[in-house]
Amino acid sequence: MKRLLTSKWFIVLSVSLLLIAGIVLSFLPGSPLKSVVGLSSTVVSPAQKGVKSTGNAISDFWAAIADGVAIREENKALKEEIADLKYRLNQYEEAAIRYEELKAAFHIRDTFSNYDIYGANILSREADEWFSVIRINAGMNEGIVLNQGQSYPVVDVEMNLVGRVIETQGSNSKVLPLLHEGFSVSGKVNEVNGASVIVSGDSVLKKSGLCKVKCLDKGVKLQQGTVIVTSGEGGLFPDGIPIGTIVEVDYSNPVEITATLRPFSNIGDLEDVFVMIPFKADDKKEGETGASESTAQGQGGQG
Amino acid sequence: MIRKKLIRKIVVYAIYILLLSSLQVSYPNRIGFGGQTADITFVFVVLTGYFFGFKDGVIVGIIMGVVRDCLAPIAVVGIDGNVRVTAGIGMLVMFLAGAVGSSFFTRRMHRNIPFAFVSIAFTTLLYKVSGHILAYSWTVVAPAAGSYNLGMYEIVVKSCLLQTLLNLIAGIPLLLLLKFAGPVGLTEQRNTSDDVIKSTEDTSWLQI
Repeated sequence: MKRLLTSKWFIVLSVSLLLIAGIVLSFLPGSPLKSVVGLSSTVVSPAQKGVKSTGNAISDFWAAIADGVAIREENKALKEEIADLKYRLNQYEEAAIRYEELKAAFHIRDTFSNYDIYGANILSREADEWFSVIRINAGMNEGIVLNQGQSYPVVDVEMNLVGRVIETQGSNSKVLPLLHEGFSVSGKVNEVNGASVIVSGDSVLKKSGLCKVKCLDKGVKLQQGTVIVTSGEGGLFPDGIPIGTIVEVDYSNPVEITATLRPFSNIGDLEDVFVMIPFKADDKKEGETGASESTAQGQGGQG
Repeated sequence: MIRKKLIRKIVVYAIYILLLSSLQVSYPNRIGFGGQTADITFVFVVLTGYFFGFKDGVIVGIIMGVVRDCLAPIAVVGIDGNVRVTAGIGMLVMFLAGAVGSSFFTRRMHRNIPFAFVSIAFTTLLYKVSGHILAYSWTVVAPAAGSYNLGMYEIVVKSCLLQTLLNLIAGIPLLLLLKFAGPVGLTEQRNTSDDVIKSTEDTSWLQI
């Protein structure tokens, strides 16, 4: 018996089985394995932040030598200004398109006014091909609370789509990036009455930083350079969030036209992101009387 | 003396686990190429198992796995189509990496340096092939997870071989770290033969 217990085969097999059971249980809320992992973040997160700050400091030091601190500061300020202007431009463009679309229905609404925007930094990125969830430093303590079946859109500084929040903890949240094969969002061509599409992650394309686009409307001609934005269907993402541009269209199957899309947001270079949280029904009543739109909530994988 | 050695081991392993896992998830673009990222945490666990035996390999593996599950977990599309963050896959992968690293190419090769790279390549290939098989199987079990559309070229060249190459390159500095600034002093390493490692654990399995 003692020999069996000290056998490596036995140890490897029993620990593996135990871990597999833990993995299966981790799908359920309140999993003990998740609690262990969550506890470890109290030690790991500060260490990781320290390493990241040190790495950034070293990186900044070399950049300062190469470019000059003054130019860097100026560049940073200009980038922020450009980002702000691009954001405004996107808003105005979208507002104009929407006005045209909705004029016939005599119903105009401001899409993003129903959302609170929370800023956050990216703490950790994907570790390899499969370990690909991103962590950000805003969680339940900052008011990002997810209920069963809910999810919140995440955008970059230029309001381009980055992904969606799929899990929150005390001081951090986990974000499913746009390139992940489990990600899917309803989109449309950014034109008046633009064609509807589904943008989703793809295990092959994600290595090149691309997504897959499936055209839903028949007879639509997608072109290289066509801008795709969220359509708002599904309720998770408000419409008008820029997703990316079409880089290649495949007409080989006339029944199902597909395309590849390069997202505007370069997740690998991002430092800051924003979580968009819809107002609760009671908040909205306080904030704006007469608003007609109900609170948007996400369901499942597709927004 | 034994206590001192043990403390050194714990401290050195703790520093490397925190440092390497932080680097892995903080700057993946700087250690990646062609859509793959050199898995320095995985290589570290394999090398720990290879040089310092089964116990070190699996213990470091499990702890490294907990950290990985905490910092960059896997999100899986469930049977119902909803995406969920899992816990424990990192632990399982790293635990098995430590066990495999300590079990192949070790004793007969006297834990020599060239075969450390063979061990890295072997374990990485095993991990990637198993991962692809599991990912494919999951799409069969859970159709809502979508189809597994990776072709043979993508799997063999762009995933398995590229990852192996990156891990082999990452293995060079990690090997130097473990050898010259590792959990066991240089003098002690010279004096510790394979028989000593063998005497402390059952190494009669899976040896080549």
